[in-house]
Amino acid sequence: MTESRRSSRYERPRYPISFTALILGVVIGIAGGLFYAWNLAPTEEFNTEPWQLRADDQAHYVVAIMLNYAYDSDLALAVTRLAQLRPPVDPIQYVADVACDLARSGYVNDNSGLTAIRAMMRFYQGQGRTGCADQLIPAAEGPIATEALIIAATPTLPPPPTKTATPSGSPQLTPTTEIRAPSTPAPQSAFQSINPTTFCDPEFAGVIEIYVRDGRGQPVPGQPIRVVWADGESLFFTGLQPLRGLDYADFQMTPNTGYTVEMPGLSEPTNQLIASTCVSADGTETITSYRVIFIPR
Amino acid sequence: MLRTLISLLIGLAIGLGIGLYLGWVQFPVVYTESPASLLDQRFKDEYTVMIAAGYLADRDLQGAVGRLRVLDLDNIPDYVQRLTERFISESRDFRNIQYLVALSVGLGRDAGALYDPFREVTLP
Repeated sequence: MTESRRSSRYERPRYPISFTALILGVVIGIAGGLFYAWNLAPTEEFNTEPWQLRADDQAHYVVAIMLNYAYDSDLALAVTRLAQLRPPVDPIQYVADVACDLARSGYVNDNSGLTAIRAMMRFYQGQGRTGCADQLIPAAEGPIATEALIIAATPTLPPPPTKTATPSGSPQLTPTTEIRAPSTPAPQSAFQSINPTTFCDPEFAGVIEIYVRDGRGQPVPGQPIRVVWADGESLFFTGLQPLRGLDYADFQMTPNTGYTVEMPGLSEPTNQLIASTCVSADGTETITSYRVIFIPR
Repeated sequence: MLRTLISLLIGLAIGLGIGLYLGWVQFPVVYTESPASLLDQRFKDEYTVMIAAGYLADRDLQGAVGRLRVLDLDNIPDYVQRLTERFISESRDFRNIQYLVALSVGLGRDAGALYDPFREVTLP
């Protein structure tokens, strides 16, 4: 007769390892491994794609795509490249948004930036989108020359007499042809500056404040302003600081330097504005500032 | 006690291996906010081609150089020439090579006969 005995934990063979401790070790090990791999020794950055770029470099990438599109007009390729940026909105509206941001920044202070933003505007406007750059950036630099149809009907002089008798007749007209020719450009001095006024304010030392207004005194944004000095020049636009007004632009002068301000192709330059020293109402010595207002001639 | 300690150490070693694999291979750190200088080479190539096409559109050499500056290059003309020659060597897209050749020549880096088949031609 065999005695059946219930197995007891003390009688089961003992495993050489403790599963509880093993699992605990694995969990702690995974946590430690992840912490080390993610925080202490993360992988080197490589294979960086355009969507991983910081915002300003993504904007540069968008500009490059748009410049390429301006040359080859390959819409599918442009959209494919834009998609690489994983834009949060549809790719074309994304271009409009980026153009808006760039138009509000100093990016438009040179012709290269302006050209790029115009390329972006042509792209998204062609796809029926709009953005704030439409208001901030003029469609084309200077007066917009429109095309006009001119009917050319030039009388042709009769040919000189020859030995062969030529039937006489009235002057012949060449066949009427349509020739597209640019219309006469707008007058070069469409705007004039009101005599610049000066002010002496330590908080706005050595600043040229520029305003462009239409005939009714309303602000005109997106107008080109050029400031020229002995060693260089700067081109910028009104309305890029909306908080100061859509007709506003400013320029920071260097002390003891002379500047002229003009609307390129639209106005004559002002007289020299000298960044000279002045004394403000509270007795503080600072640099003279100017306020220049352009109005239609 | 010794059994528990050994088990814990074995578990730690296994877990550490798994953790490192997950952290480095399976789910590595994904970087954002990266500068353009760290772009993968194929995107740097593409960016340069796009700038070169833009140069053909507006002929703004200074603008093209300024836009390539974001790649943080030591010598932009040299970089464009080397890229152009690489594209030619690897028989890349003909149009892209044309863009690069135009920019390279614009930057004063003309590789002569190597560039000849890709130069802009004016048809009569």
